[in-house]
Amino acid sequence: MSTITVLQARGLTKRYGTLTAVKDLSLDVFDGEVLGLLGPNGAGKTTSINMLCGLLKPDSGRVSIHGKIISNADASLRLRVGVCPQDIVLWKTLTCLEQMQFIGEMYGMKGKSARQRGEQLFKELDLSEKKDKLARTLSGGMQRRLNLALALVHDPEILVLDEPEAGLDPQSRVLVREYIKSLAHRKTIILTTHNLDEADRMADRVAIIDHGLLLTVDTPEALKRTVGEGDVLEIEMDKDATEQARVVLASIVREVTATNHTLVIRARGVVELLPAILNVLHRLDANPGEVRLRANSLEDVFLSLTGRRLRE
Amino acid sequence: MRTLIVFRKTMREISRDKWMLGLTLAFAPFFVFLYWLWFQGGSTVYPIAVINLDTSVQLVDGSVYNAGEEVCAAIRAITYADGRPLLKVVPVSDQAAVEPILRDRKATAFIQIPADFSQTLQAIQAGDRSVTTSITFGGDLSNTYYMIGANMALTTVEAYVQQATGQKPLVNYIEKPLGASATRTEFETYVPGTLIFSIILLIFLAAMSVAREIETGALRRLQLTPMTSIDLLGGITLALLLVGAASSLLSFLMALALGFNSQGPVWVAILVSVVASLSVIGLGMVVASLTRSVSQAFVVANFPLALMMFFSGVIFPMPAVKLFTIAGRTISLYDILPPTHAVVALNKILTLGASLGDVAYELIALVVLSVLYFLAGAWLFQRMHLRSA
Repeated sequence: MSTITVLQARGLTKRYGTLTAVKDLSLDVFDGEVLGLLGPNGAGKTTSINMLCGLLKPDSGRVSIHGKIISNADASLRLRVGVCPQDIVLWKTLTCLEQMQFIGEMYGMKGKSARQRGEQLFKELDLSEKKDKLARTLSGGMQRRLNLALALVHDPEILVLDEPEAGLDPQSRVLVREYIKSLAHRKTIILTTHNLDEADRMADRVAIIDHGLLLTVDTPEALKRTVGEGDVLEIEMDKDATEQARVVLASIVREVTATNHTLVIRARGVVELLPAILNVLHRLDANPGEVRLRANSLEDVFLSLTGRRLRE
Repeated sequence: MRTLIVFRKTMREISRDKWMLGLTLAFAPFFVFLYWLWFQGGSTVYPIAVINLDTSVQLVDGSVYNAGEEVCAAIRAITYADGRPLLKVVPVSDQAAVEPILRDRKATAFIQIPADFSQTLQAIQAGDRSVTTSITFGGDLSNTYYMIGANMALTTVEAYVQQATGQKPLVNYIEKPLGASATRTEFETYVPGTLIFSIILLIFLAAMSVAREIETGALRRLQLTPMTSIDLLGGITLALLLVGAASSLLSFLMALALGFNSQGPVWVAILVSVVASLSVIGLGMVVASLTRSVSQAFVVANFPLALMMFFSGVIFPMPAVKLFTIAGRTISLYDILPPTHAVVALNKILTLGASLGDVAYELIALVVLSVLYFLAGAWLFQRMHLRSA
């Protein structure tokens, strides 16, 4: 992965009244990487990317692309960015190709080039058959793909995707995911998501945001290493017994945590330890329920950083 | 260049929203047609309630002279220049019966002919100058038609009395109508107002077209392009101007087909309509700049709409509130409203036969207002919506 900084944010803060949506965000985005902004709804992800691409003016801090600070006066820097918003933003009474031409021409492309680029993108996003159909006649999944194509028409260097898989049907989700993967390393991609698997699968680095604060940023593997080695065993239990079990099991395994009805044990070779763990639980009359074994995930990272699960 | 790109895109959108386009284009011609139906191609007929108590007299040759009946006939005989009736007699038995008729506005005024009316006129005719009689009249003075109905009816009675008694009037009043105003039907009088009304309504279309781009988030997408507010608003303005011009043209064609007779060149009237449309669209751009959604734009647009409707002289003349004087011309407060100039110009052209040169001032005023409103809208839009929030 390149370490050439394409986009740099320093000390970005945005307040809405008394609410601080983003606080002192500093971030480097490297050339050709896929950076995932991970956080729960309302964490400040969309506010952050709106500031990063110059759509939203921060109360303090600055954003630069290749060392040049984004400002209202200089629109040329924004040309390097393509944004695919979370909401579907289309001109419903234009055909797919007409809106590609329109937005392409607004970016300064010739009409013919914009149409050709549109046709190429439609091919890649499996929309070729619909190119002359009005956007309002497309299915939701197709509209989302068109939404993505519109962000790419001018072949931007930096692509910002706000929740790219939100609202997609399974078939479109696979298609979009594969397409974004195909763009990786050719373009610098920033994607926001509250989907841990999406961030883990697609991002070269993940920045975790909560309550407007950037908590950490690193590769998914490095982040997972920070919360411990080995696999994770999750055991569903009665709530009353969870804390007692955690205390007793702490003598067998180094890392054990309890959240509500779930006992979370992380250790190398945790499978071999399973009989001993279950034996302890039976002795305590803890009545263990469902037992799940999984690899370390970004969920664990989020949990260790915030003390709560992302989906809570 | 981007203005033309936005123009082409907006035209595509407008042409595909057939229901909205149809309504916009049909609105003014439809109202011209409705006015024509309402006035049956002519003018208002004023019903006059007549309480005829006249008992008539028998003349020496044995014939009966009933002046009351003859007055009623004279009232019925009053017509517009095209021969259509102006007054209508509603016979009423007594004063008690006339009140509900006036309250229900089935008559605009009443006159009561006294029992001795024929007798008195007969005496005067015979040379007795000592006798006199009284005609009572009245009605709902808050009814805007009252003044016209009562005045026309009493003038008719007065003329009859002079003719019946052989008296000569002390003063002759000679009416000199301006231009062709005497021959205009009420339908023709209302056509300019209808046209201006349809132009004023363009403020909704203009404000809502721009607000839609904001509400759908399309503007955020466009914000990443080098587009300026002049590109966006200019393109939308051009497209709406075309729609406004088509609507004006259709309205004139409808009016002409229904017998409307323009005293001046119609192309000048259309030019005035188009420039007035431009200035109203410019005002719509100011409204759009202050709003974030279509519903907001609709609500906010009502404010300038009401100002244009009630303070520009479209519905009734307003007293001028003088501000300052430029080159001998007094500029008043309501001159900032585009319809003020459009009303004057269209009346001059359509009713008084004015030519392009005669309405140059109004046209220049409309062009200046168009430019000012458009630039104000573009400046506000840039500040409110296109700068990073």
